[in-house]
Amino acid sequence: MEIDAFRAALDEWLDEHEAALAPSHAGLGTLDEEMAQLAKVRRLVYDAGWSRYGWPERVGGLGGSGLLRAYLGEVLTARDLIEAGIYSMPEVLAPTMIDFASEALAAEMVPKLLRGDEVWCQGFSEPGTGSNLAALSCRAVATDEGWRVSGQKVWTSLAQYSARCVLLTRTGDADSAHRGITALFVDMDSAGISVRPLETMHGLEEFSEVFFDDVLVPFDRTLGERDRGWSIAMDLLPYERSTSLWHRGAFLHRRFGQLLSTVDPEALDPRRVGEVAQLLYAFRARSRATQRRLAMGETLGSETSIDKLLVSTAEQAVFDLVAEGLASAVTIGDDAQSRRWRAEFLYSRASTIYGGTIEIQRNIVARRLLELGSDR
Amino acid sequence: MDAADLELFERSLRHALADHEGPGLDEALEALGWRDALSIEPQTAVAVLFELLGAENATSSALDQVLTAAAGLDDEGAACLLLPPLGRTDPPGQLQDGACVIRGLAGSSLHHRDAVVVVARDASGGCVALNVAKAELEVRPIEGLDPALGLSELSGTIPLGSHASELGAADWSAAVAQGSLALGHELVGAGRAMLELARSHALERVQFGRPIGSFQAVRHRLSDSLVAIEAADGLLAAAWEDGTPLTASMAKAFAGRSARTAAGHCQQVLAGMGFTAEHPYHRYLRRVMVLDQLLGASSSLTRQLGEDLLGDRRLPSLFPL
Repeated sequence: MEIDAFRAALDEWLDEHEAALAPSHAGLGTLDEEMAQLAKVRRLVYDAGWSRYGWPERVGGLGGSGLLRAYLGEVLTARDLIEAGIYSMPEVLAPTMIDFASEALAAEMVPKLLRGDEVWCQGFSEPGTGSNLAALSCRAVATDEGWRVSGQKVWTSLAQYSARCVLLTRTGDADSAHRGITALFVDMDSAGISVRPLETMHGLEEFSEVFFDDVLVPFDRTLGERDRGWSIAMDLLPYERSTSLWHRGAFLHRRFGQLLSTVDPEALDPRRVGEVAQLLYAFRARSRATQRRLAMGETLGSETSIDKLLVSTAEQAVFDLVAEGLASAVTIGDDAQSRRWRAEFLYSRASTIYGGTIEIQRNIVARRLLELGSDR
Repeated sequence: MDAADLELFERSLRHALADHEGPGLDEALEALGWRDALSIEPQTAVAVLFELLGAENATSSALDQVLTAAAGLDDEGAACLLLPPLGRTDPPGQLQDGACVIRGLAGSSLHHRDAVVVVARDASGGCVALNVAKAELEVRPIEGLDPALGLSELSGTIPLGSHASELGAADWSAAVAQGSLALGHELVGAGRAMLELARSHALERVQFGRPIGSFQAVRHRLSDSLVAIEAADGLLAAAWEDGTPLTASMAKAFAGRSARTAAGHCQQVLAGMGFTAEHPYHRYLRRVMVLDQLLGASSSLTRQLGEDLLGDRRLPSLFPL
């Protein structure tokens, strides 16, 4: 199905099913409420076929270009039915399985993720490795029974809700850096895994510490080749900076629009409003071009760091305006809407940190796009 | 144009810019069919040429041709079309009491013309184009910040009749929109050229025993410049596809802001060397500062956008997938 026909048919379906899709909570829900809403929406859009478009048939998809997925996330965000950040996680996790799991495993697992039957997480960062991902130390040792995993992950989003984890482990020497990393697909109910949720500054237990104590992972759960996990992480980063960012941009558009409709016009400097609008539209133009390249079958690379830098900057710029224009909501309001503006303002402080800090993104731009050579 | 045609087109434009300047450049562009390309594929013709003009710090009368064609005027490529005064977007002429009050800026082509085309707004809000003899106007050649641009300031009040013949109705907002996109591409071209100057300097200049391009503070400035330029380029492409004055104005303003951001970072990286008159950097800074003011300054266009959004209380839905 092409994008225009998809858009028209989906919009009509969403109008018809407005009541069934609507969240049961008002304003900012608890994370449990948000997760329940997300699972409900995922199931409804999957069973009606919408979220199967843009994915290959061998994992239960209905084919078609990735633009269809991009639009689905955009319209669900625009209608305030889902929270874009947690909704977009399959945009990275599903391609990992499609590209690197065995066909049978991908075919078995991906539909559960897309339908919302399961939540998965990504076990990348560790206490000692934030920006320097290649230094990770969570260890996997090959034994007669399979991999034995011991170590710790942190900032693992939604780990406490997750049935599976795409986990990066150290399988080479301690100093093998990016050459000795292996990716595993781990059942979160395996013996030896414990999860301790962390409360963020915006008040949600969105990420966790995850501890692995001699956890057995069968060899057939290895993603890609042994010791080649780094290339999986690298191959996935552009996915993280394409469709997910398009969805993020849709969220920013909705909230900027709501700011404009709510704010006392005297409370904002019009020039600043114009600057933020230009930045947001420039991101949207750039991200749309990226979506189209992806749909044409192009391989995305380091140039998507530009998309990421733009959306990170735009997110903080939008919520800086919110903090100015809706100052009393953000600082002293305690009703549901105020709590939501405040939480989103606080969350926006992380937009230049998560998914690769803006310093790391600038390093990629300098090294790969400007070819400035080594920084040492 | 397919990829091969485009490459050929760009290469021939590049040659024309390398070999000619002033009226010779205009003739060369005419000879290689740039104006035909403008009528068939305006986006390609404008984007490729203006980005090159910006990158080469070149001066031509191509902007006159873009505005003339977009306004719906037929001029055989020979007219000098008057721009609004600095920072303004309204037509440079105002019709009142049987006369035309004129105030605006002319590009370098004025030096080789006897007349100038002035788009004037009448009392009903419609626009007409007039052919006005140069001798009838007060002309102040501009040195200013960027003498190489060859601008002149024109003013006068001309009675309609023999000295101001009517050329027909003109679509001024379409002219401004397409002219804005052209200037946006020129700003992007200038931004890329400044970035390339700073990038090569960062690779060659050694301090503390290392190329300065190995220092993160320098790398991040150059990276921010590229992000600004690419963002502006992307917004221009989307504005062409959208085809409305709103997005053209937004893209022009953003290109101006982005080029100035890049100019700031690049100057800091070029440091003392970039501050000399013999280094080419200053010519780009000069050009960017003036282009940013033509057909509306980024500061006022951006403020206007903000005022409109605050007035409408909504964010328009643009750039659908």
